[in-house]
Amino acid sequence: MLTERIQKAKDEYVNNKPAISYDRARIWTESYKRTEGQSEMIRRAQAFKDVCEELTVTIFPGELIVGAVGEFRKCGILTPEFSWTWVDKEMDHFSDRVQDPYEMTDEQRQYVRQHIFPYWQGKSLEEAFLAQIPDETATVAVDTGIVDIDSKWRQSVGEITPDYEDCLLKKGFGGIIAECKDKMAQLTLSRPGALKQQDFYRAVILCSEGMITLARRYAQKATEMAAAETDSSRKNELLQIADICSRIPECPPETFQEALQMIWFYQLGGILMENPLSLNPGRFDQYMYPYYQHDKAAGLHDDNGILELIECYWLKLSEWVWTISANTADFFAGYNQFQNLTVGGSGRDGKDATNELSYLALKATAEVKTHQPGLSVRISQKSPRDFVDAVMELVAQGTGFPAIHSDKTGYQMLKNLGYETEDARDWNNCGCVVPHFRKTFEWTSTVNVNFSGAFEYATNGGKSRITGKQMGLPVYQDRQFASYDAVEEAFFTQFDNLIDISVTGTLVAQRLQKEMIPRPYFSALFEDCLEKGKDLVDGGAKYNVGPVLTGIGLAEAANSLAAVKKLVFDDQVCTMAQLLKAMDENWEGYEELQKQAQQAPKYGNDLDYVDDIAQRIANHFYEKTHSYTDIYGSPFTSAFMGISNFIPTGRVIGATACGRKAGEPISEGVSPVAGTDISTPISAMKSCAKLNQDIHSGGTLLNMRLNHDLVSTKRGRSNIASMVQSFFDMGAFHVQFNTLSTKTLLDAQAHPEQYKDLLVRVAGYSTQFVHLSKTLQDSIIRRSVHDGM
Amino acid sequence: MMACKGRILQLQHYSVNDGEGIRTIVFFAGCPLHCRWCANPEGYTPENQILFIASRCVQCGRCTAVCPQHIGWDLNDAAARHACIGCGACVDVCLEKARTHTVAEYTVKEIVEKLASQQLFFRNSGGGVTYSGGECTSQSQFLSELVDAVYDMGLDQAIETSGFFDLSLLRPVLDKIDLLFIDIKLMDREKHKQYTGVDNSLILRNIAEIGTHRTGVVIRVPTIIGINGDDENIRKTARFVKTHLQDPKMELLPYHSYGADKYMQLGMTYDESSFGTPSEEDMARLNAIIESEGVTVVSYR
Repeated sequence: MLTERIQKAKDEYVNNKPAISYDRARIWTESYKRTEGQSEMIRRAQAFKDVCEELTVTIFPGELIVGAVGEFRKCGILTPEFSWTWVDKEMDHFSDRVQDPYEMTDEQRQYVRQHIFPYWQGKSLEEAFLAQIPDETATVAVDTGIVDIDSKWRQSVGEITPDYEDCLLKKGFGGIIAECKDKMAQLTLSRPGALKQQDFYRAVILCSEGMITLARRYAQKATEMAAAETDSSRKNELLQIADICSRIPECPPETFQEALQMIWFYQLGGILMENPLSLNPGRFDQYMYPYYQHDKAAGLHDDNGILELIECYWLKLSEWVWTISANTADFFAGYNQFQNLTVGGSGRDGKDATNELSYLALKATAEVKTHQPGLSVRISQKSPRDFVDAVMELVAQGTGFPAIHSDKTGYQMLKNLGYETEDARDWNNCGCVVPHFRKTFEWTSTVNVNFSGAFEYATNGGKSRITGKQMGLPVYQDRQFASYDAVEEAFFTQFDNLIDISVTGTLVAQRLQKEMIPRPYFSALFEDCLEKGKDLVDGGAKYNVGPVLTGIGLAEAANSLAAVKKLVFDDQVCTMAQLLKAMDENWEGYEELQKQAQQAPKYGNDLDYVDDIAQRIANHFYEKTHSYTDIYGSPFTSAFMGISNFIPTGRVIGATACGRKAGEPISEGVSPVAGTDISTPISAMKSCAKLNQDIHSGGTLLNMRLNHDLVSTKRGRSNIASMVQSFFDMGAFHVQFNTLSTKTLLDAQAHPEQYKDLLVRVAGYSTQFVHLSKTLQDSIIRRSVHDGM
Repeated sequence: MMACKGRILQLQHYSVNDGEGIRTIVFFAGCPLHCRWCANPEGYTPENQILFIASRCVQCGRCTAVCPQHIGWDLNDAAARHACIGCGACVDVCLEKARTHTVAEYTVKEIVEKLASQQLFFRNSGGGVTYSGGECTSQSQFLSELVDAVYDMGLDQAIETSGFFDLSLLRPVLDKIDLLFIDIKLMDREKHKQYTGVDNSLILRNIAEIGTHRTGVVIRVPTIIGINGDDENIRKTARFVKTHLQDPKMELLPYHSYGADKYMQLGMTYDESSFGTPSEEDMARLNAIIESEGVTVVSYR
C-alpha cells in the first residue's frame, strides 16, 4: 500500500507534463563569460560550482529526499555547451511534438534566444563535431538512421556507475577534498604533466565544494520552511532534512535516509553537470545494505519505513527528464534517463548476495510504478527461490520490469573484456542491458548500426532504395549474383563499410569529448583518477573499455538473407532479378512473391536454416568491431541492445527480401522481428541463445510478450522462471517480458486518460505506455504474444 | 525390423497444463471414442485429412491446379470432402496458410530428437512429455516403443487417456509412466454410450484395476453443463474415485468451444447448442462436492 505522501507525489508524476528550466543554462553561461582563458577543466568545474551556489532551491510538498534540477517538479534542463541549435530549431514545437513533449513558455524561449544561445554560437560540441567530421563519414553518419552517433555529439556521454561503495559513502566530499589537497601538496609543478594534474585536483575540489554548498542551501531552505510549517510532523521532517543536508554529502552517512540523500545529491550534481543518460545507481542492494542493517538494529525504521524512503528516491529519479531532440527521442522514447539500478546476484566472493533490499526494490517498483530507475535483476541457479518468485510476481504485473539478467553471462562478458575476477562478479547494469562495473570508463551506447542498411546496399549497388542516394560502396552495381555466397559476400562488404564509418565517427566524437568535456565531477569518485591526478577523459579509470557499437536489425537482416537463399537459390521460385524488382517496387504487383518471402524461414523459431545466418552475422560483427581500437587504445565492443531504435532505423530502409515493406520497423537486440516468432517462447529463446552472446560484451537484449494467463498463477510463474533459467543455462544474457493482454493495450490506446500509470517494456527499459507515439504503441502491440499450449 | 511409425497429429512444445512443469504433448491420431464435444475432432481417425480455413482462402487457384482429384478450392463442400484422398498436394502450394495436414508420420527416433531439443526446459521445470490424442493407447505398439525410449532419457512421462484400452496389453507401458490422467466423461452407462459412442464399463473397470496397483492417477472430467456437469454425475464420479483410487484426485476441465472452428475446417457439423460452459460458480460448487466426498481437487492451471 502506498503511503499518502507517495500517492500524492505519484499523482503529480503521472499527471504533469515535464517543463523546461533554463536556470542551469543561464548560470552556466554567465559563468563561462567570466572564465574565458581558463582551461576547460577549470571552466566546467567553476561553472558547476556557480550553478550549485545560485540554482533555485526547491523542496516539494512531502519530500523526504530533497534536491531538484530546476524549479519544476517534473523538469528538464538545457546544456547548450553540448548542443543548442536543435533546441533553437525545435523548441517552438516542444509542447506538441509526438514523442516526449515538454512545456516551455514564450518568455523562456525569448530569454534563451537572447541571452544564452548567442554565447554558444560556434562553441558547442555539436558544432565542433559537424565542422570536423569528414564529409564522406557525415553522409552516412549524421541524422540518417543508418549509422547513428547522435547521442555522443549532441549530448554528454553519461554512462557512469558512480563508485558509492568504495568512494563517496566512505569518504564524503569532505574526504575527497582533503585527498586532493594532499595530492596537490605533493606535486612538483615543474614536472611534466603536473600542471594538468593540479588543474584536475583543483577542478575536483571546486565540484566537491559546489555540492557541499548546494546541500547547505537545502539545509537552510528546510530550516526556513520548518519555521513556517504549522503541521508538526512535517515540521519535524523538515528539521531532520535540514540536519541531514548540513552534513551530507560532506561527511559519510550513518543512516539509510542519509545514505539515500547522499546518492541522490550525487545524482543531482551529475545531472546539473552533464544532463547525462545512464547515470546508474548500480548495485543499490549491496552498497545500501549496511545502512539498512544500521536502521533496523537501531530501531529507526521497519521495512515499511525503508520502503517509503526508497519510493521517495524512485520518484526523484523519475521526476527529472532527459532533454533530447526529436530525433534522439525516436531512438530513446519515453522520457527515459536510463538510470539503471541492479539488485540480486553474486557478491565479489561469488556467493549469492541477494538480501532484504533486493526484495524491497522489487516492491517499490511494483507499488509506485515509476519508469525509473531501470530495475534490473541478476539471476542464476544460486538465487534464492523466493527471490526468483518475487521477480516473477513483478513480471506478472505487466510493467515490463524487471529486466532479467544472467548473473553468469554478465560475469563472462566482463571476463572476456579482461576484468579481474572479483570485479567481474561485481557487475551492474548500465543504461539498458550493458554489463558494467563502477570503476570503468566506457561509452556503452555509442553507435546504432543499421544491419538492414547493409542488406539494402548489398542488393542495390550501394544505393538507398528509398532516396536513390549513394550511401554504401559502389560494388555489385549490376546487381548480378551468381550464388547465395556472393550475396552474403556483398552483404559483409557493405556491413564492414558501415562499421568503418561508425568507428570514424566515434573517433571524432571521442577526441572532441576529451578536449572539450573533461569530467572532474565524475572522476572524483574514481580512486584511480584521484590517485593519478588524471581525468576520466584522459584515461584515468582502472578500466578503459572500448566504445560499444550496437547492431540493429540482426533478425531482419538474417531473415532477408535467408529469404534470398530460399527463394532464389534453393527453391528457385524466382530469379534474383525478379526478387530485386519486387523490392524496388515495394512488393506492389508482387504480392504472391511477398507471401512466399514471408513464409521463408524466420529467425526466432529454432530453425538452423536462418539462425545460422544470424550467428554468422553476429560473429562477424564481433570480429570486425573488435579489430578497431579507440583513442585510448581499447578495442571497440559489440552489442545487440534495444532502445526504441528499431522504428527510426526501419523508416529509412526500403522493402527487404523477408517480405517487409518499405519503412516498416526492423528488429531490436537479439529479438526476432515482431510477429515472426510464431512457434513457442522456447524456440524464440533457442534461436537467440545460438548466438555467442558472451562475446558481445556491450550486452544483448531479448524482448518477449507473454499472454497474461501464463503468469496469472504461481505455478505458471514457476514455469516461466524455469524457462528463463534454461535460457540462461544456454548462455543468454537478458530477457524482459511484457505480460499485458492485447486487449488492455488497445484499451489504453483508446482511453489514455485511464492508463496514465500503465508501464510497458519498450526495449530493455520500461516507460509509460501513454507517453509513446502511436507508431511505437502499435509495434509493441504487434509483438508476437506467446501462449501456453 | 522395420521401425514402427506413429501417426501423430501434433507435437506441441511449451505446454504447461497437462502435467508438471514445461512439457511437450504428443497428440496421437485415432480414437475409439467419438465424443460429440471433442475439441480435437481431427483425432477421431488415424487417417490424414486436410483442414481448410475458408476465411483465409483468396481463391487464387493454386490448389485446384495441383489436385489429383480435381477438387475445387472449396474443400468443405460435401462432395469435395468425399472425393478428397488427403494427399496434401494443395497444402504445399497454398500461400495463405489456408490448408494444413492433420496427421504426420514419425519414427520414435524423430520424436526423441524433437524432445531432446526441449530437454533443458523439461529439467529446469520438472516437466517432460505427455501422450495425448486422439487416444494415445490406440497405437499401443508405437506408444510402447516411444515410452521405452523416453524412459531411457530419464524424462518425466504422463499419459492423458480415455481409459478405453486393453489393460493387459498396456500394463508394461503404464509402469513407466509417472502420471496418468484418465477421463471419466459420464457415470451413466447409457448416456456415456450416447455421447461418446462406447460403453463406460471397460473404462471404469480399468480405473478400478489401476487404482489398486498404483498412485499418480488423476481422474479428469471435461465438464459440460447440460451433459455431465450436474451435481449428481460429479458426486457419483467422486464416489467412484474415492472407492477405487489409493490417493484419490480429480480435476474438472471446464468445457470450452475452441474446437468449434476445427469442425468447420474439416467440413463436419458441430452442434454446440446443448453444450454449456460452466460458470466460475458452477466450478466452485462442483469442486466443493468432490472435496466433500474425500477426493482431492487438483489443478494444472
